[in-house]
Amino acid sequence: MITLKINGLTVSVEKGTTLLEAAQFLGFPIPTLCHMEGLSPYGACRLCVVEIGEAPKSRLVTSCTYPAEEGLTVRTASTRVLKARKMVLELLLASCPQSKVIQDLASAHGIRQQRFKQEHDDCILCGRCVRMCEEQMMAKAIGFRSRGENRSIGTPFDAKSEVCRQCGGCIYVCPACQLRCTYTEPDKAICGGCANLTPPCAEKEQFDDMMCYMNPCVACEIKKD
Amino acid sequence: MQRLSSITELKTRQAELAGALDNDTPCIVIPTGTCGLAGGAGDLIRIAKREILANGLAGKVRLRITGCHGFCQVEPSVLVEPQRAFYPRVGLEQMKRIVEATSRGDVLTDLLYTDPDTGLPIEKQEDIPFFKHQVRRILAWNEKVDPIRIGDYLAHGGYLALEKVFGAGVPGEVISAVKRSGLRGRGGGGFPTGMKWELLARQTARRGKVLVCNADEGDPGAYMDRSLLEGNPHSILEGMIIGAYATGATEGIIYVRHEYPYAIEHLNIAIKQARQLGLLGKHILGTDFSFDIDIVKGAGAFVCGEETALIRSIEGKMGEPRQRPPFPIQKGIAGKPTAINNVETWANIPVIFRMGAEEFARVGVANNAGTKLFSLVGKIRNTGLIEVPMGMPLKDIVYGIGGGPVGKSKIKAVQTGGPSGGCIPADQFDLTVDYDSLAAAGSIMGSGGMIVMDNNTCMVDVARYFMNFLKDESCGKCFTCRKGTQRMYEILDDITKGKGTLDHLDLLTELALAVKDTTMCGLGQTAANPVLSTLRYFRNEYLNHVLEKRCGAFVCSDLVGAPCQSACALDTEAWRYVAMIEKGDFEEAYQIIRQANPFPSVCARVCDRKCETRCNLAVSGGEAISVRALKRFITDRIDPSIYRQPASLNKRKDAGRVAVVGAGPAGLAAAHYLFLYGHKVTVFDANEEPGGMLVSGIPTYRLPIEVLRKEIASLLDSEHVTLKNNTVLGRDMTIDDLFNEGFKAVFVAIGADKSQRLGLEGETVDGIYSSMEFLKAFNLHGNELAKGHVGVVGGGNSAVDAARVAMRQKDVKSVTLLYRRTCQEMPAYAEEVEAAQEEGIKLETLVSPVKIRYIEAAKAEGVTVETFVEPVQIDAINGHLADIKCVRNRLGDFDSSGRRRPVPMPESDFTINLDTLIVAIGETPDSAPLAAMGLDVDKNGRLRVNTDTLETNRKGVFAGGDLVTGPNTVVDAIAAGKKAAGVIDRYLCGRELAEPPQLKLPDVFVEPAAVGDEEPEDVSRAEPTALPAHMRQKSFAEVELSLTVEQARCEAGRCLRCDLAFTRCKDRDEQTVCASMKEESI
Repeated sequence: MITLKINGLTVSVEKGTTLLEAAQFLGFPIPTLCHMEGLSPYGACRLCVVEIGEAPKSRLVTSCTYPAEEGLTVRTASTRVLKARKMVLELLLASCPQSKVIQDLASAHGIRQQRFKQEHDDCILCGRCVRMCEEQMMAKAIGFRSRGENRSIGTPFDAKSEVCRQCGGCIYVCPACQLRCTYTEPDKAICGGCANLTPPCAEKEQFDDMMCYMNPCVACEIKKD
Repeated sequence: MQRLSSITELKTRQAELAGALDNDTPCIVIPTGTCGLAGGAGDLIRIAKREILANGLAGKVRLRITGCHGFCQVEPSVLVEPQRAFYPRVGLEQMKRIVEATSRGDVLTDLLYTDPDTGLPIEKQEDIPFFKHQVRRILAWNEKVDPIRIGDYLAHGGYLALEKVFGAGVPGEVISAVKRSGLRGRGGGGFPTGMKWELLARQTARRGKVLVCNADEGDPGAYMDRSLLEGNPHSILEGMIIGAYATGATEGIIYVRHEYPYAIEHLNIAIKQARQLGLLGKHILGTDFSFDIDIVKGAGAFVCGEETALIRSIEGKMGEPRQRPPFPIQKGIAGKPTAINNVETWANIPVIFRMGAEEFARVGVANNAGTKLFSLVGKIRNTGLIEVPMGMPLKDIVYGIGGGPVGKSKIKAVQTGGPSGGCIPADQFDLTVDYDSLAAAGSIMGSGGMIVMDNNTCMVDVARYFMNFLKDESCGKCFTCRKGTQRMYEILDDITKGKGTLDHLDLLTELALAVKDTTMCGLGQTAANPVLSTLRYFRNEYLNHVLEKRCGAFVCSDLVGAPCQSACALDTEAWRYVAMIEKGDFEEAYQIIRQANPFPSVCARVCDRKCETRCNLAVSGGEAISVRALKRFITDRIDPSIYRQPASLNKRKDAGRVAVVGAGPAGLAAAHYLFLYGHKVTVFDANEEPGGMLVSGIPTYRLPIEVLRKEIASLLDSEHVTLKNNTVLGRDMTIDDLFNEGFKAVFVAIGADKSQRLGLEGETVDGIYSSMEFLKAFNLHGNELAKGHVGVVGGGNSAVDAARVAMRQKDVKSVTLLYRRTCQEMPAYAEEVEAAQEEGIKLETLVSPVKIRYIEAAKAEGVTVETFVEPVQIDAINGHLADIKCVRNRLGDFDSSGRRRPVPMPESDFTINLDTLIVAIGETPDSAPLAAMGLDVDKNGRLRVNTDTLETNRKGVFAGGDLVTGPNTVVDAIAAGKKAAGVIDRYLCGRELAEPPQLKLPDVFVEPAAVGDEEPEDVSRAEPTALPAHMRQKSFAEVELSLTVEQARCEAGRCLRCDLAFTRCKDRDEQTVCASMKEESI
């Protein structure tokens, strides 16, 4: 067993437990996007950062990937953590304003406005779908391509995948793209909490270019019927 | 080569090879790094071989092909042993001569590297400043060995460290030696190498451990690793073998990027040779120790230099980092414990064992032992690869080794550590270069790129460049790194386009700190450094971009527009009148000039022409358009009467009366524009003739008095702009008087004409004048004060003016100009100095006078005094100047401005006999009377004003020109007057004084000249003809002559027309132009 201190409370956990799991065990809420039970930790969305160690040498790490260490001091909601988290959410909101999950998180953190140029991406590259496809569905139909700002998720060479079984798991786990699955009822994708955000339907022609990787998309096919 | 089966065999083989070394036969060494080959070293080798064979010199001259020696600036270079003569930039013909001379054992002095300070050839490579300040423990091997011959490496003692290491037989000893040496990781992180090895040695691993050499060098401007791999691959192998022995590793991998073909080639050869010799593989040197090395080629992603990404890349996966722990030392390649060290770290290992850990640690500073390689690049005279002891001050690297800035520019900052490093400003160049102090200054050591930037570099643009690089090179896995770099780039891009606001700066800081804090790997954590460090040290530049919409370095094209226009303090549309000259419409050209500038003829002669220094033709390596000569051409040709004044507003009801004090360029410009705004102006001047410094300070051979008088007269009239001569503020009136007389506002522009003194004893004797006194006496009254042998102290324009005026006076026999620094550093316009030399003025540089003596004192010291001077001196109360004693200077250390301080040399004093001494070391405003009137004056005598509104501390009183700035150019004074007129007009109308900054981009479309299909001939810059030197002596005729019509139109035709980028689509039928442009691009 490993003993560590989270927000002043001492907790003993098994070796290999992540900080996120330990904190959740104690009931401390940590927002996450790329983390999902049953999928391997990935550490891409940076939302679950917590502060470890003692000042001035303390640093921020993602709790979903950091294993519990003996004697570690963890703060899940220090000023530094909250400041960083807010900036992450602001960046998320600037890229993916139409995601209800992101809107709710931003709203819960008191963010009412973002200061960047508004984009309308439909993906935050959290990699949940990739891991779902690989780890749970054993298909490896989709993966990451390219790097930097050109990074994207899709099938190799965008060709119709021969290993995809159209299970829909990738859509099911997506935190950003509920929009795709509401298709004909876009207003349902908007929580309405942030009056300052333009509904994406106002700026984009229907959702032609927002299709998911499934070809054809099961969800959309069902809606059509 | 035969396989070595024991340590003894290695020793004997080494001794044999060392014994066979031929150090006596002259040897030509040709460096063929990538830089050398690009410079043409391949041709040199061919020629050298041919010459040697053709002339039967095979036994008399040897040839050695090596890796890069470091001095990349002068490639292709040649080193000749045993003399160690260094020939830079060797041409093909010169190579033949070198071969021939070397075979005779001679050195070709004319081809040697010349000292930039003294101009003398330097005989030995070691004495060249670039090499002199280095400690070349690793790089020196690049000269000694041919990288593709293992025999070379062995003969010079390579692989001998293995004997010590294997001989001791205790791996722990090896680690302890590395620890004692204090070696820290040279890849940039600075983790102690010994500790890393110890951690690896402690790991238990059944499947073996891995050592990796990280040669994924991806920083823009860094090439240390490449040069080591190309020049001395065996040292890396030797280091890795030692490391493997110490840690128990069984596999070695060199991860090198595919873009380094020579490095890969040389490594492959080296590994093959080492295997043949039994230095790699099973049972190395007959021991039980086995270790082998493979090469993995990387595809060139910057992020793969990060260790966890590198491991994934070696495993054949996508190169993206993962969260640590587990650390690679616990779980690395394929789960095996892995230690990753940089190329340079590995190259240091044999050095440690060759010289001993203690000896190794002797160089460097506390906690930072040994030497470090840097690639010194950018806006610096000597670029290249250098090796210096840790803890060397940055200024010694930049100025000492690098030789300082190119030309007359000024070094502004050094960027260390590549894209994830930071910029260190020039005023912090005392900083020592080691891991800890660089980190404290907000930068990082990085792998060792050092990019020097001068004042032609825009720091916002630099940050933008690096952010652009990082947003493309971020792996994109973690959100804050991917989006953070992208958003930072977006904001920086907006700022460089003039769309930035102050909120953007705050957001940028906030975002940069968040990115630094929340990203996963080293790339993201340091990605914010370029932004944070430029914001920290160059916030002013950011503010200039954001608030004033100006880019001081003229880099951000959306803020600069046409550089000639935005460089001009008066906002003259130079591009436009140049275009008009090209079309032959000279009258329109005059209108354009005159609209911006009430003194066109004056500026056509004495302007410091910032437009030409910023001309895109000059910046891109060509010759700038002769803008001033073209202006002169127009003003000589066109009568000012054709000028159409803009519709005058002088019937305004709210017009007020304004007093302008000082009829210099600032005062007259203010008066003129105030008149145009519709106000009545009275100009007060202390002299009998208006014009200020223009009339009293500028000699008539530069600015003929009749031209000046005509121009001033056109600005004055009896009704709206009246002049009162011989009225001195403080003596004849006060500011209160002016307000009492009914003036609503006062503009004070009395200039700066109080000369500074040398501060030496006896400065008041006869024969010593200040330059102002001297020039004024001649220009206004025709008094010739200079007699006999004349000395002028100073290096500014007024010093040169004084010298040249003196030269023209009747009783003058010789004139000597004394300046305390080198010609290069003279603040005077370069062409004026040259012209002065043509006229026979001797230039004594690096001389500063220490003592002026009375004749009595001179006699007492045994100095012979010319007899005809003596009686005069005795009779005078203060005595007359007889000579001055001078001392010679040498150049000392660099000060923070990047200039070398003049340091007096002991016992170098000498005496110059002089009859007249003119002191021209600068002027200050004579502002004591102003202070008495309650105006705020600083310690240099300058008036303090609000720089945006030119307001003084008294309401209704404004000031500008030299009085505020100290001695400055004519054009800046005119600009101050022009600005003041606007401010005073707004003041009188009760409006906001400061004007919001505006982007001044070209907005009038002028049809470009048709270009035929044929390539136009190369036309060089038209320089105005000057009066021949013999005709100038004792004559005050104007020296510079006007261009001819053909010359002018041809010169104007050279213009690149930078304005078209901004105006092209506006004034013509937009659609046709845009459509045709689109077609072109398709």
